[in-house]
Amino acid sequence: MAGSALKRLMAEYKQLTLNPPEGIIAGPLDEENFFEWEAYIMGPEGTCFEGGVFPSRLTFPPDYPLSPPKMKFTCDLFHPNIYPDGRVCISILHAPGDDPMGYETSAERWSPVQSVEKILLSVVSMLAEPNDESAANVDAAKTWRDNREKFMEIAHRTVKQSLGL
Amino acid sequence: MPVILLERIPLPSLQTYTSVSVLVLSVALYYAYHTVTTVDINSIHELDFGDGVTVEPVADDEVLNEHHDMVNISLPYDSVGWNMFHILTSEVWCVWILVNSAYCCLILLGKAIQKLVFGELRVSEEQHLRDKFWNFLFYKFIFIFGVMNVQTLEEVVSWVAWFTILGFFTLLTQLSKDRFEYLSFSPIAARGVHVKLLCLLFVILLCSFALLFLSGYVGLQAGPTIFAFLAAECLLLGIRALYVVVRYVIHLWDMTVSSVWENKSMYIYYTELTFELSALAVDFAHHLHMLLWGNIFLSMASLVICMQLRYLFYEFKRRINRHKNYRRVVQNMEARFPMATKEELQIHNDNCAVCWERMDSARKLPCGHFFHNSCLTSWLEQDTSCPTCRTSLSEGQQVDPNSNVPDERGAAPPQPPQQQPQNMFTNHFFHFDGSRYVSWFPSFSVEVTHTQLLPGGRQRPIQTSQLDSMARQVQSVFPHIPTNVILEDLRNTRSVDFTIENILEGRVQVPPPGLTTMAVLTDSEEGSDDSDSPSTPSQPSPRALQLARSGEGEERVGTSEEAGGVSSIMDYNVPFLMETVPQPSDEAHFTTGSRFSKSTTERESMLQSRKEQMLQNARKKYLNRQTNSSKEAASQIDDTRVTSETNAADQVQLRHRNESTFQETQR
Repeated sequence: MAGSALKRLMAEYKQLTLNPPEGIIAGPLDEENFFEWEAYIMGPEGTCFEGGVFPSRLTFPPDYPLSPPKMKFTCDLFHPNIYPDGRVCISILHAPGDDPMGYETSAERWSPVQSVEKILLSVVSMLAEPNDESAANVDAAKTWRDNREKFMEIAHRTVKQSLGL
Repeated sequence: MPVILLERIPLPSLQTYTSVSVLVLSVALYYAYHTVTTVDINSIHELDFGDGVTVEPVADDEVLNEHHDMVNISLPYDSVGWNMFHILTSEVWCVWILVNSAYCCLILLGKAIQKLVFGELRVSEEQHLRDKFWNFLFYKFIFIFGVMNVQTLEEVVSWVAWFTILGFFTLLTQLSKDRFEYLSFSPIAARGVHVKLLCLLFVILLCSFALLFLSGYVGLQAGPTIFAFLAAECLLLGIRALYVVVRYVIHLWDMTVSSVWENKSMYIYYTELTFELSALAVDFAHHLHMLLWGNIFLSMASLVICMQLRYLFYEFKRRINRHKNYRRVVQNMEARFPMATKEELQIHNDNCAVCWERMDSARKLPCGHFFHNSCLTSWLEQDTSCPTCRTSLSEGQQVDPNSNVPDERGAAPPQPPQQQPQNMFTNHFFHFDGSRYVSWFPSFSVEVTHTQLLPGGRQRPIQTSQLDSMARQVQSVFPHIPTNVILEDLRNTRSVDFTIENILEGRVQVPPPGLTTMAVLTDSEEGSDDSDSPSTPSQPSPRALQLARSGEGEERVGTSEEAGGVSSIMDYNVPFLMETVPQPSDEAHFTTGSRFSKSTTERESMLQSRKEQMLQNARKKYLNRQTNSSKEAASQIDDTRVTSETNAADQVQLRHRNESTFQETQR
């Protein structure tokens, strides 16, 4: 039921506003619809995405937190674990039932004790350390593995682009 | 396909349609009025001349004259109005004009209701409405001409009128349902909107009762079959409307009452079940009745109805199966997971990890985690593991096919977790499906199995007490060092003396005070001091422990101890923590917490301004760094091509290397 999901989202929003983790801002795009959030993520320091601010969309299902939300970057991001259309592929966002890549144990998947904050922190870590074993973007994974310099260059360009410079 | 074609037909705008309808209607009215008056004259003329045809002054064309003759004979009423009505209903083209005007009125009424109650329709609502409309039209066409096989115009008109009214209300119900679902996504909908929508729903409900009585009245004359046809539709309409009303009331109740409503989800579940099943049953009976009564075997209509019957049957079965599953889950849960006692709850004093609300009553899982009864039920319906620690909760005979963790507990009676040594295996299953990318790519999978003792619930249980007492000894010497740091080092050294030596020699890194809070923050299961913030089952989860450990600067990723069931997510977190935490950063101010305003608009604008601030700060920093690095580059004559980011990356790698060497020396 959307009622309990709404309450939980409200609580999460409150927590994220009062006590935000570093480099992360998230909240509903428009409070008319509390199930559509926008999140800004800072590229983690010391990585090739350092300094960038990456906007993304979070779409919650009506039975949240029983089902995971969907996350999609709204900017271009060349990364092994992000599909070319911006969808994020990390195990924490996959429901226990489905396994798109066929390699995750259910322990790594979504569970209702996860939260927006944890998802976003996982995404930050994913930006810092791509996992090229389960590539969502094969080109990016290849570049990451074989041609690190080029990857850095592309990442740097993305950072610049994300800042609108 | 036909729908798409129909959509391409340029429909006139509502204004044009209305004005044309009004025009046509006025023409018809004028005609009727004129006829009535001239017939009156006619009848006078008739008295004088016997035959009024030639004398008739206005009617110049033959057809009209003929009509007049017809009408002439039967003008039953004295008043002009009734006579006009009589003419309008007895002439075929006038009847169609009347029907058209009725539709025009209905559309205008619908528009007015939409303006009043719904305002602007959303795209998805419009789409639903359109689908529902064409669907309805299609099925009712089949019904009228396929099942009822009506012949006369009167019958067609009355059936069409009936279905028009019914369809109108069905569409309104659909729209209300969509709108309710949308409104339930928003915490800020105004009271007026709810009131209007509920009023509309009550009106629909009343109308469906009225239609039911009407069908009863008609049924008295037309027989029980017709009554059954009519009543089934009314019942369906009523059930659907009532369903929305009940859900709406529950939702509003839930939103206004702030306390936790324990049995809410059960009520919701059973209302859903009752309404869905009854609607399906009525629909099924209705269709079966159509198939059997209509004597329409071996026709297109029977095929369509059979398809519909099949669909309804499977829906029914699916619902029943889901309910069976639900019952099984509930029974299983009640049998195996006891309710937590008051004392336990008091000691625990925590919020439910699923809904983040206070727990006044809770169920206790064998792994020692507490959840609301209803939250646990809805989760167990879709997965059989503890939401927090992922321990499998399935009974011995039904191991969850998804979990790679073998079920060691089976149906063992619930015991406190500390006494359960767990021998768990974790499998890492890497699968590469090349055909996803290019058809001729190979597919392969590699499975790596670790078979060693792993931290099951929290830590290695046998050693816990030993370690704890050792840690206490160490901590009596060094009270300023956090317990988890000591525990961590003890796990490596396995001796109090060595650990003390390590600390003295500075080989144990004490995290800066900010770190522990950061680690706790990262794992929001650990409540912060803010009373509103959610906190979940008390003991530090393996994740929190790992995070704390990784924060100590000891690169442990990949070492055997870490290869536990909780894996890659944490591994991701490690570098992030290492890079960000030790350096108290200057841009902290724009991500630090702000007020959580009560007003929506203020909240929205605050969020927006925080975002903008973040972006601007990031820009400033980026530009600063850019200028700095260009200065550096200018000073470094020998290697000008080193860019700032490769620098940064090198530093990271260097730090990693330092840490790993540090760890080696420690061993």
